[in-house]
Amino acid sequence: MSERAEELVTYIQEHCLWQFFSRSWDRDENIEGILTRAGELLTGEPFVMETQADKCWQAEAGILVAEFKARMPWIAAATREEITGIIAEVKGRMKEITVEKSRNEELRVKNY
Amino acid sequence: MPMTLFKCDTIIPEREKHCYIKAPGEDTTQFLPASNVATIPGTLSERGCSYCGAKLVIGGVLKDTIQMIHGPVGCAYDTWHTKRYPSDNDNFQLKYVWSTGIKEKHVVFGAEKQLKKCVLEAFDAMPGIKRMIIYTTCTTALIGDDPKAVAETVMKERPEVDIFVVQCPGFAGVSQSKGHHVLNIGWINQKVGTLEPKITGKYTINFIGDYNIQGDTYLVEKYITRMGIQIMSHFTGNATYDELRTMHRAQLNVVNCARSAGYIANELKKQYGIPRLDIDSWGFGYMAEGLRKIGGFFGLEKEAEAVIADEYALWKPKLDWYKAKLTGKKMCIWTGGPRLWHWTRAVEDDLGIEVVAMSSKFGHQEDFEKVIARGRVGTIYIDDANELEFFEVIDMMKPDVIFTGPRVGELVKKLHIPYINGHAYHNGPYMGFEGFVNLARDTYNAVSSPLWKLAAGDIRGKGVLTGLESKPGMEAAA
Repeated sequence: MSERAEELVTYIQEHCLWQFFSRSWDRDENIEGILTRAGELLTGEPFVMETQADKCWQAEAGILVAEFKARMPWIAAATREEITGIIAEVKGRMKEITVEKSRNEELRVKNY
Repeated sequence: MPMTLFKCDTIIPEREKHCYIKAPGEDTTQFLPASNVATIPGTLSERGCSYCGAKLVIGGVLKDTIQMIHGPVGCAYDTWHTKRYPSDNDNFQLKYVWSTGIKEKHVVFGAEKQLKKCVLEAFDAMPGIKRMIIYTTCTTALIGDDPKAVAETVMKERPEVDIFVVQCPGFAGVSQSKGHHVLNIGWINQKVGTLEPKITGKYTINFIGDYNIQGDTYLVEKYITRMGIQIMSHFTGNATYDELRTMHRAQLNVVNCARSAGYIANELKKQYGIPRLDIDSWGFGYMAEGLRKIGGFFGLEKEAEAVIADEYALWKPKLDWYKAKLTGKKMCIWTGGPRLWHWTRAVEDDLGIEVVAMSSKFGHQEDFEKVIARGRVGTIYIDDANELEFFEVIDMMKPDVIFTGPRVGELVKKLHIPYINGHAYHNGPYMGFEGFVNLARDTYNAVSSPLWKLAAGDIRGKGVLTGLESKPGMEAAA
């Protein structure tokens, strides 16, 4: 993983509660939804908020992007392609830590 | 460093998988303490029972509900007003306690008649109260009483009353956590959606997992209300029974305590499509972030910023005064579970305090994922810690202050280390901006008090008492 993606992962690990929702499908959904929206915010891509879940991810992503920009000045100079690549790396690593390699034995329990 | 076996645990080596010290470069895919599993025989656990998790933590907070404890009187007494959650109706829930007072004859002949008698008596004695929660306890579960049948009979006889039954005896799970779970799932399946709310504004939320400890709810509600948002239901701080029946109509679930109430938030998402937004309500940075996220959801960003600006202007200078005094102090957090991850960075970022050891009584592995990700390298993380482990941690880390409950707090005081009540607080509320200044004040007063040194002196001129003189297994330290 690139150094820049690692920086973002470290920030998310230390700050964000959404990565640790109760079950694997909740975590997958949050990582995909919030980080996709964060990428769109960083690259200025338009997006549509259709559902209540979209609004929730937008609220989380908005905070995340503001913090990324404040703490990591290189983000402002990164190209669209670079941001897209970094976000894809971050998604992969977050899923690895919190879902695929998680040692949490309740993660795949069927019921809440 | 991998999982750690403390010296005091040599004879119970199973404890190794519950104790972890974080080393540089490690993450939770490598090491994660075992948790929410049965306490190992021989270890002196500080856990509570499953019934307690349902009654003391969640149900007992309701301000208009009779809490009928179907069991021996001790089960009622021991979960009565030991946690200070006030209400705006003169603290009804703190003033009274109800029990069916089970005796041996009931164990032999059954206690359902006794339950019905007590339910009717309680409603008759309090004619203004029409809502009740009945809890089973170990005794009445073991004898096979059917409190749901009794509740249904009473509701048929008295249609104006509504009763919810929590069937979670003390032995149902390994800790309080099972009680949280049973109450959450029972409530969503039986009571949510049975009443329509009065919606007074455009924006509505449920605030889930705040229990109004010493007025926490009042502070957070003030911020959210000022943003123009209606809190339809508090689960369960200063809440009524009926407002919790209307949770299905909110637009957003804002979750504070994900351990005790994450279940109902998950089910509200699954069954009603209401999204879940988790926030931390303790600490300046966290509270501001939480309000910004809520504002972001509703498009009320300016309103959130206005509240944050007002609160910072009022309270930040006071916080900074305490931060200057507290920076570098070492803290232990030995509480239930969520406050470990809510507080570890909040006290570090806002007050400069280093959290050197954390212990959870009923946290699950999800809680340890959160706290290890947020916590410091070198910090000790323990599940279901026992008394001797606490002593060993104190020797290892030399904390300046310990946030814990009154049981462990008494132990700590004997060692002349200040303790702050991490469950019910010393002089709260501790949530929100004003609350975190209260926490800072209590911490500063604790670590600055000359009392600890004075209490250690022996007026007979025999030197300084360490508090360790007669503690088994610690002769060397004494």
